[in-house]
Amino acid sequence: MPKVTIDGTVVEVPAGTNLIEAARQAGVAIPYFCYHPYLSIVGQCRICMVEIEGAPRLAIACATPVTDGMVVRSETSARVKEARDAVMEFLLANHPLDCPVCDQAGECLLQDHSFTEGRDTTHMVETRRTFPGLERRLLGPHIVQNQNRCIHCSRCIRFTQEISETAALTYKSRGNHAFIDTFDGQPFTDPFSACTADVCPVGALTIREFRFRKRAWKLRSTPSVCPGCSIGCNLWIDHHERTVYRFTPRENPAVNATWLCDFGRFLAESLNETHCLHPLHRVEGQLHRVSWGEAMRALALDVSAARTLRVVASANLSNETLFLARELFVRHLKGELVVPVHPGEPRRMKNGKGEWLYSRDAHPNSEGARRLGLELVDGERLARFLYGAADLTVILDPTAHPYLSTAEALQLLRVSPTLSLARTNHPTAEVASWLLPVASLASDEGTFTSSGGHVQRFQPAFSPAGEARPAWQILQLLARAMGVSALDLDSPAAVFAAMATKEKGFSGLEWERLGGGSPSTYREHQHVG
Amino acid sequence: MRTVAIHAVPEEQLTHVTFDATMEERISELLTHYPTRRAALLPVLWLCQERYGWIAPGVIEAVAARLGESPAFVQGVVTFYTMFYTSPPARYVLQVCKTLSCAVCGGRELLEHLKARLGIDLGERTQDGTFQLIGVQCLGACGSAPVIQINDDYYENLTIEQLDALVDELSQGKEA
Amino acid sequence: MEPVLLRARGVPNSRHIDTYLAAGGYEGLKKALTMDPEAVTKEVLDSELRGRGGAGFPTGRKWTFVPKEHPGPKYLICNADESEPGTFKDREIIEYDPHLLIEGIAIASYAIRANTAYIYIRGEFVRWARILETAIAEARQRDILGASVMGSNYRLDVWVHRGAGAYICGEETSLIESLEGKRGFPRLKPPFPAVVGVFGKPTVVNNVETLACVPSILTRGAAWFASIGRPRNTGPKLYCVSGHVRRPGVYELPMGVTFREIIEEHCGGIRDGHTLKAFFPGGSSAPVMTPDQIDVKADFDACAEAGSMLGSGGVIVLDDSVDMVEAAANLAHFYAHESCGQCTPCREGSDWAMDILDRILEGHGRPEDPATLLRICQYASQGMTICPLGDAFALPISSIVKKFPYEFERHIAAATPRPPKKLPVLPWAGPRPGFDGQ
Repeated sequence: MPKVTIDGTVVEVPAGTNLIEAARQAGVAIPYFCYHPYLSIVGQCRICMVEIEGAPRLAIACATPVTDGMVVRSETSARVKEARDAVMEFLLANHPLDCPVCDQAGECLLQDHSFTEGRDTTHMVETRRTFPGLERRLLGPHIVQNQNRCIHCSRCIRFTQEISETAALTYKSRGNHAFIDTFDGQPFTDPFSACTADVCPVGALTIREFRFRKRAWKLRSTPSVCPGCSIGCNLWIDHHERTVYRFTPRENPAVNATWLCDFGRFLAESLNETHCLHPLHRVEGQLHRVSWGEAMRALALDVSAARTLRVVASANLSNETLFLARELFVRHLKGELVVPVHPGEPRRMKNGKGEWLYSRDAHPNSEGARRLGLELVDGERLARFLYGAADLTVILDPTAHPYLSTAEALQLLRVSPTLSLARTNHPTAEVASWLLPVASLASDEGTFTSSGGHVQRFQPAFSPAGEARPAWQILQLLARAMGVSALDLDSPAAVFAAMATKEKGFSGLEWERLGGGSPSTYREHQHVG
Repeated sequence: MRTVAIHAVPEEQLTHVTFDATMEERISELLTHYPTRRAALLPVLWLCQERYGWIAPGVIEAVAARLGESPAFVQGVVTFYTMFYTSPPARYVLQVCKTLSCAVCGGRELLEHLKARLGIDLGERTQDGTFQLIGVQCLGACGSAPVIQINDDYYENLTIEQLDALVDELSQGKEA
Repeated sequence: MEPVLLRARGVPNSRHIDTYLAAGGYEGLKKALTMDPEAVTKEVLDSELRGRGGAGFPTGRKWTFVPKEHPGPKYLICNADESEPGTFKDREIIEYDPHLLIEGIAIASYAIRANTAYIYIRGEFVRWARILETAIAEARQRDILGASVMGSNYRLDVWVHRGAGAYICGEETSLIESLEGKRGFPRLKPPFPAVVGVFGKPTVVNNVETLACVPSILTRGAAWFASIGRPRNTGPKLYCVSGHVRRPGVYELPMGVTFREIIEEHCGGIRDGHTLKAFFPGGSSAPVMTPDQIDVKADFDACAEAGSMLGSGGVIVLDDSVDMVEAAANLAHFYAHESCGQCTPCREGSDWAMDILDRILEGHGRPEDPATLLRICQYASQGMTICPLGDAFALPISSIVKKFPYEFERHIAAATPRPPKKLPVLPWAGPRPGFDGQ
């Protein structure tokens, strides 16, 4: 592998690596605006100029592959500093200085570079070029365009050409008057449209749903996994004061590179819906609030008394929850357990190698359920499952399958007592005798197994609303109340460890190494993705 | 020299364009010149401009569908080049060269004269739709400055008198 | 010197293939076909022919960069996108002698083993595109082009491809992008076109005049060609003279005549009552030269030594009536209009320079403007941009600022501050109901 010296630090990188990535490994951040690790290299912005020993002219780092023995100067070169100053002055000649009212502020590459390296003066005294009519335009259902802020990096255009393959965006006109547009100004309805705002280094494209809701620097990011389908895209839950504001892609070359589809991304808001905040017990048709202690004591008796027990699990639950459910309800109590699976809309995602991945169903963990040896059923078989009689029905996730909200299902559930975990208002609440408040993905912890077989960990962003608890913990409490000490495991990590020793599909995996990463890793963050 | 007038097809008739047999034959022939379909884009656009007078959005959609490109891509290409008309042009488009050699050799005077005579500014067209005046960059005929291109034809070494005679001829409906 | 490139000018019916054949046309191609392609390249290399499009790169060298053993197609592109202000030589060759160009294309294609050649001609040249198409059809009919070039087993197709109005497409990688049906955005180099060119295949892009020199190199020999001019600056050259001379036009002269000879002898000097103020030696993208440099030889090396460049050989002559600030503004408008907008320094710089020059001409110049212009020019050239358009606007404008500072000073001394821009003010419709302070 070639060795290269960057600002005095020697690094060895694979042949073909460009200088930006090599410098990153050497701990040198070369600024860039148009470069993106998953898009083609165009060398348009010219900010990544570096000095290479022996070359008469400065070179752009993005388009220069390393060669063995290369000596590169970035921050240690006065020539480079001057050139970058000049490029910044060119870029800012027409870029509005509206950072205080720009929603990109705080996560803007131009602002960041201006703040750290830029000068506070300019030679520019002319009237700035503007694009009347394109200053606050809805480009599509999710994207707001402010062309005045565009620095012509062409990342959004390249995204639609190379990643989403719709080629829906283009430059129109040319030179300094070129602007980003769709064909004939038609709505930008690309299924990955919001990624164009992610890749936009400035505030030219912003996401309609997120604009002006929260300043970027207020947000905390927690690594998680998309609950939208079986592909298992990696994402950050961006939250503040126990409210989820958005999902942003988290880099994973094997799954979603740095992309998210619009469907998955805009599920973020749904995590804030928490209607069920306390354990409830139905007595003579009326729901009464009870404490967790009361609920667990009573349920332990009900569950052990039930001669026939049936459990509707869910492919939306983590491996840990499903494992606990299987051990408790099937192994220990000899109940019957099914995992309903709904095909949902077809979804797809492009990984870092440029290959399309296709969803198998609408659940994040159907593959995990399969690997745990659980019985996966469709709507038809779920109906037959509920048709049989049982002393107690346990519903671990009312949203596991759309069938559960049909009148027919409710009629079947009314026949015998039902325990349901619940977060949002759902028709099953009308028939349940017990309702236990469960935490959303944002307050849960565990792993999902993607349809591609990746076991991926998600972390809790904040504590659950009200008295809600994560599903795994509810099962743990029940196991404790019933005296099943083998399942009284106090964390998802402990559940995972138990699972890893028992299950073939998890052997050899270590909780700590299942990714997630820390929110501070620069490259994984919003700027690149 | 006979400068052929442009007959721009109105936009209403170009919302759903289907290429007729003649066009289709010419497009197929053009495609044999190149190893990729995309490479035929400029020639096909020229063909369309010849046929319809300008490149309407409906034409872009038809071209994009024929060559397997997205309409946005085709529109991006169309707007990069200055010679494709994206709105219906007048019958005679007077393209006055503004660049250095022409500018210092009488081009500026010609332009001012045309503006005054036609009563229109750069980029505008006369009310009857006969003339449209645009300023263009170097036409590559600097030795015979000043130069004006009318539709496809070059008129070089023009004096104001010659230009007046030309405009007279064209405006009388004769194809000069 | 007897004309080589313009020998057909003035000959009746010169465009017809029979006229060309009767004058010994296609003999060079016939000879080339009897030789190894490498021998043809060697001949051109020995002639020291340098590219006439502007950069002056040795043509034979360019041909040798094409990987010989490359499997699959290779391409030759004739660059007829003549758009450099002050340049109008290629049109002259096509107008009078299209077969000379076609013969040059055929020889060059044979030398690099290309079976397809494109002539990329600027969109405005409708008439000349048709002339070329007619000539190609004639050549094809006579089996000079097609499946069996002049009875050999070499196949060559030549197609005319029209541009559509973009100066940047004269830059070879931008031309290639445009030929592929895209926006004319120049590519990053390396790789160079000779390795990865049009459709990803090895490609040579040569100017019309360059290719028109090739047939006579074959028929008369490299030594003859090299005997014209001086070493490294050989052959006949078309000089296009425009502006304030008595007889503007295209002149074919041996490489290396002085600008004095071109302007004073051949063009009859400056128009009556005026004197020479400045001239651009090689199209508007070359740094401007002043009357004291009129004895400089009009060849590649001499112009470079004099701090300018021969470029395309388009000599733009300006007399004392010209305001050099206006000239700079005119060029700035050209380059701002023609910048493709891809990379930052050129896109922003050309527009910015144009705004400054316009403001000076509007009477609102500022003392710091010349320095700002020089700064813009410095950082829009010298490798700061993807393609040479940055240099193309920076060099002439900075040279004008440097060589005619007093003209800027004159404008700026008489300048007034720019009045603030009038912004639209919301109309005052009187006090709103309930807004009278109660």
